[in-house]
Amino acid sequence: MPPIINEDICTGCGICAERCPQDVFFGSERKKPPVVSFPEECWHCYACVMDCPTEGAITLRTPVPMMLNYK
Amino acid sequence: MQSDVLSEEIMETDVLVIGGGPAGLMAAINAAEKGASVIVVDKANTKRSGAGACGNDHFRAYIPEFHGSDMESVVEEVWKSQAGWTRSYEFMKTWISNTYDIVRMWDSWGIPMKQNGKWDFAGHTFPGGTFTTLHYDGINQKPILTEQAKKRGVKIVNRVAVFDLIADQDGRISGAVGVHAREDRVITFLSRAVVLSTGGCVRLYSGITPGWLFNRADPPHTTGDGRAMAYRAGAELINMEIPARWAGPKYFARCGKGTWIGVLRDPQDNPVGPFVEKPDRRYGDPISDFYKEVFEDYHKSGRGPVYMDCRGISDSDYKYMMHFMRHEALNGILNHFEEEGIDPKNNPVEFMTYEMSSRGGIYYNERGETSLEGLYAAGDEYFGGVSGASTIGWLAGANAADFVEKRKSPSSNTGKDKALEVANMVKEIRNRKNCPAWQEFNIAINQVMTDYAGPVRSATLLEAGSLHLQRIKKKAYEIMQAGNQHELLHCLEVLNLLDVAESVFSAVSERKETRDKFKRVDYPYKNPFFDNKVLVCRKAADGPVLEWRSLK
Ligand SMILES: Cc1cc2nc3c(=O)[nH]c(=O)nc-3n(C[C@H](O)[C@H](O)[C@H](O)COP(=O)(O)OP(=O)(O)OC[C@H]3O[C@@H](n4cnc5c(N)ncnc54)[C@H](O)[C@@H]3O)c2cc1C
Ligand code: SF4
Ligand code: SF4
Repeated sequence: MPPIINEDICTGCGICAERCPQDVFFGSERKKPPVVSFPEECWHCYACVMDCPTEGAITLRTPVPMMLNYK
Repeated sequence: MQSDVLSEEIMETDVLVIGGGPAGLMAAINAAEKGASVIVVDKANTKRSGAGACGNDHFRAYIPEFHGSDMESVVEEVWKSQAGWTRSYEFMKTWISNTYDIVRMWDSWGIPMKQNGKWDFAGHTFPGGTFTTLHYDGINQKPILTEQAKKRGVKIVNRVAVFDLIADQDGRISGAVGVHAREDRVITFLSRAVVLSTGGCVRLYSGITPGWLFNRADPPHTTGDGRAMAYRAGAELINMEIPARWAGPKYFARCGKGTWIGVLRDPQDNPVGPFVEKPDRRYGDPISDFYKEVFEDYHKSGRGPVYMDCRGISDSDYKYMMHFMRHEALNGILNHFEEEGIDPKNNPVEFMTYEMSSRGGIYYNERGETSLEGLYAAGDEYFGGVSGASTIGWLAGANAADFVEKRKSPSSNTGKDKALEVANMVKEIRNRKNCPAWQEFNIAINQVMTDYAGPVRSATLLEAGSLHLQRIKKKAYEIMQAGNQHELLHCLEVLNLLDVAESVFSAVSERKETRDKFKRVDYPYKNPFFDNKVLVCRKAADGPVLEWRSLK
């Protein structure tokens, strides 16, 4: 479920939780890797990935019903 | 759980701005420049909230160096392309004539409005038409505008959703009551003027993925809160009956189709529109601007699907498109391209027409004034894209500050009654057990809107749907429950959606005709009586009141 935190490299800086417009990380604690409390409410805006200072600490997975149809 | 609400929490300011998108932040910046004290309160975080959260790339503008002295043709073009008949010409003119100042201001603040030192106009027009959209690098517009507001002493209060407005003894709007998104707190804001800028109304109709409430082209956390609180306070809404449809990539609902550079083609590779035959950075494919239902119509008639086909794009246009996709907040889609190995140079991507929404919103004029004294509004509280939002927001901020100057005596209303009312309601919602959660209500609203005030509209359907809606509303107030503060905010959104839904039902019922995109199966003709008129809706003691008004 989107987003996915890599706890091995996440520094717990809290930027993603501070900025997420959907408050997907509701209930996260300071200085700890954020908890993904409401993954189904993600808008896939990409703010968390864009603004994360640690490359790779957070990634997004597109849910199956949102897959593009292409040829 | 026992909720102990601190209804004593009070913040005072001259100008209260509700919603920190481009409209609200620009209003705040200008009000502060005029000397007012300003608070911006946002449900999320102004750095990455609302429809402009992660950027925009097209800015409607009149730039003398590009257009010459002919501003009128830009006004005309924007007026036509934005369902002009629903807005006064004066409004459009004021908007467009102020864009040059705003654009230069943004550029000086570090939002790059030029490409390699030049004004670059592209997209949203057809060959031979007037270019009106300036291409710009908007990815960091929100953090930058937030910084500019703070620099001028604006206080930003994030993670508080405002629910209701406060009026003083003379009916002037003088504050608002909000609920914290993470902590059990109700906060009263007392002010001498209020600017509403909470964005659009998403999540009213069923979305494109059944059972998936948040797959939306526009931000799912903008739920018509401003419209609803204005309506409850007695302000006028306008054009609530006019439907709006958007279009974009299939199944990944997202605005920003104007940034794709390709040709919309049917399965046999025939273009579905007359404007372009090969990818061209100047135009994209404008057919979907004029005819957003093209995808749905092709699909319904079995001729679909329709693809956005970027094959044959030149290398430089491809680079250009990728650059602007990043600025247009399409990073989620670019990420998905990578996940699946989709390359738009080789893979045509299917497009679709998205769900219906209401084009209407709060009736505000070119000064940002609403029908209530002390209440201003801007941006997607009605419509106008990022340019309309920032320009009218800017003007609304100045006018709100002027109003504060003139309004010498502070309001005598302490907001206590309203704060208590909200605090008690919140407490009840939080304390209920074994009751339905907000999702049940949101889905029920989507269902009734789509089935009774959606694509098929008639008096009998509207009457039946309206009855059902009233029952849902009664239940929502009586039994909706929230297990935590996050769910509580969604409950408040549901209550707001219910009020917006009510205004849509009553306005659709009143417009007994068929005109442009507005269709009534029981009145399949245009009624000349309604020419040059708009429909205004407000809430009175015993329900919605409708009035036809001439567009000056
Ligand atoms: C992907 C995408 C691309 C787009 N591209 C373009 C483009 O290129 N050109 C263009 O002209 N337009 C574009 N738009 C539209 C444009 O972004 C909007 O028109 C513009 O952001 C509107 O600004 P606003 O300030 O009125 O509302 P928003 O930017 O939506 O801001 C509303 C704010 O109000 C807050 N809020 C909501 N409810 C409450 C509440 N109850 N209490 C407190 N705060 C609240 C929200 O958190 C948010 O911060 C695009 C939209 C999207 C989604
Ligand atoms: S993509 Fe956007 S909505 Fe989703 S978790 Fe990240 S910041 Fe939140
Ligand atoms: S922004 Fe990145 S590093 Fe910081 S808490 Fe989020 S995932 Fe971890």
